[in-house]
Amino acid sequence: MREIFIIIKKELSELLRDKKTIINSIVLPTLLVPILIFGTIKVTQVIEEKEQQKTIQIGLVNAPENFLQLVKKDSLNTISTFSKTEDFKGLIDKKTIQTAIIFPDNWNQQMDSLTTSSVQIYRNGTKDNINHRVTQIIDSYNSQLKEIRIAQLHIPIQKMTPFNTNYIEVGEQKELIGKRIGGFIPYLFILTMWGGCLLAAIDLVTGEKERKTIETTLSLPISKFKILLGKAIVASLLGFIPAVLNLFGLIVGLKLIHGIPDSFKLAINEMLNFEAVALILLLLIPFSLFLSGFIIALVAGASTFKEAQSKATPLIMLIIIPLVLAMMPGIELSWSTVLIPVLNIGLGVKEIMAGTIDMMQYVVILLSLIAFAVGTIYFSYKKFSDENAILK
Amino acid sequence: MIKIENLTKSFTTSTRKGFKTNTTTVNAVNNISFNCTPGRIFSLLGPNGAGKTTTLRIIAGIINPTSGTAIVDNYNISQGSNELKKRIGFLTGSTGLYERLNPDETLDFFGKIYRIPEEKLKERKAYLFDKLGINEFRKKRVGQMSTGMKQKVSIARTLIHDPEVLIFDEPTSGLDVITADSIIDLIRESKENNKTVIFSSHIMSEVDLLCDDLAIINKGSIIYNSSFKDFKNEMKADNLTQEFINRVKEA
Repeated sequence: MREIFIIIKKELSELLRDKKTIINSIVLPTLLVPILIFGTIKVTQVIEEKEQQKTIQIGLVNAPENFLQLVKKDSLNTISTFSKTEDFKGLIDKKTIQTAIIFPDNWNQQMDSLTTSSVQIYRNGTKDNINHRVTQIIDSYNSQLKEIRIAQLHIPIQKMTPFNTNYIEVGEQKELIGKRIGGFIPYLFILTMWGGCLLAAIDLVTGEKERKTIETTLSLPISKFKILLGKAIVASLLGFIPAVLNLFGLIVGLKLIHGIPDSFKLAINEMLNFEAVALILLLLIPFSLFLSGFIIALVAGASTFKEAQSKATPLIMLIIIPLVLAMMPGIELSWSTVLIPVLNIGLGVKEIMAGTIDMMQYVVILLSLIAFAVGTIYFSYKKFSDENAILK
Repeated sequence: MIKIENLTKSFTTSTRKGFKTNTTTVNAVNNISFNCTPGRIFSLLGPNGAGKTTTLRIIAGIINPTSGTAIVDNYNISQGSNELKKRIGFLTGSTGLYERLNPDETLDFFGKIYRIPEEKLKERKAYLFDKLGINEFRKKRVGQMSTGMKQKVSIARTLIHDPEVLIFDEPTSGLDVITADSIIDLIRESKENNKTVIFSSHIMSEVDLLCDDLAIINKGSIIYNSSFKDFKNEMKADNLTQEFINRVKEA
């Protein structure tokens, strides 16, 4: 053990003296989530404000007076009246107008006879702001006409409302938000962990080759396994620490940044309590060792940083795909998903945050991750002991 | 003491062509035998790619031989003991220093790994730093040092545990004469202290200055092995360099 500690201390001092490592493993992970939250809130606010202040150019054909008044109510609406149907698609493409609403010639007659008429709306489905505002006008006009008809027919309003719906939420706010965003959180810190492990593992193995120190290390009176284990522990620490800082950044960010709804803040605070954070971190320890072992095994034969990167980068697909699956609403933690690495962490974290984790399943995830970590460390040891690969 | 007997090291490389895999086996070192005795400097000479580095790596326990035995200070390398590595000081062109550590930290690291008691490590470090003139840059990171400074620190880390067996592969390569002289002085001192020294160099004047016993290796086989005195007596060429070239060409 003593030798492993000496190796860990030396590798850590070397890595932490590299500016690249400090930025990637400490500064970025801590600031990433607060910046993301703050940025998203600010950008959304700015976009919403801008959209609300934008004018809409509406083309109207045969519009009845009461509809015209409704459109004019919003001073941001600009009206172009057409006497007959034109090439509205062309006019929208040329940006002469942004949408067109066409009423039939006999609109008033149809309304007076209480029949169902039809209104054509030309629109570009990608223009969310315009479509949303036009839909609001149309819906409002429709309700207005309905009320007039109900009044004309002397029908009491209760008769037109067969029932009211009243939803009673039985799930906790924490469970609701946990299941919805719980999949996104592991996505964030597992990717950070991946980045940290990757950089450290490449520096500790391929970097040593590039700096011509691998032979110096191999000439030390320590077994190759201890050297490898020391390196794998350091690489996993450099993955684990950024993930913890990521989580820390999320908690602090939510506390300090204004503009987040209170109910959401409360639910997140409840989700990220001491027990939940401890359970998540416990899963991340074997997972970071698993990642480091895997990456070291992949890069052991590489002789340059570039070669190592190209060998290890495809592994990211094996991480992203299960994490994306974990974010999907239909996929839940079960006995069939509990042994699939990465997916089990993604789903497990989701359940932990929602407060619905089955402790038996949690223990199985933890044990499976430990088994995978031992397997990849052994695999990397085999690669690290391959003279052809390591002294290439 | 180093006793090498019938040592062979083969490397197998695989190349893939479509679905076919071709395997090629090359003997980097082929059935070589030689002895190095304490208190004498043994020179292992040979052109590039002759098998010198492979031989030295096997002796240092970095790679395992395919067959044959090597006994280093009474330890058989096939047992892969770390005790054997503790008895060796290994310095070659590819044993670089950790660039983000300074000389002080470097020697502390090696001292701890070799389990040198703290007080003894301090004394040994002070002696080597003084002898090699490292004191003035002992706090400078290796990555910011000149080639000469780095080589001095490399020599110091090779000698920090006062090993019984010293392996130097071109220790003065690329150094100025003053630095080279201090290193040669240390090698001589090791000989005086009854250490077993293997020394490899392309600089024949240094071989002439230090060598007691000599082996020439070419294409993985030993083509000459005797005392340096015998080699000089048997010389047909005017100088050492020419004699070395002739012997390699004739082999």
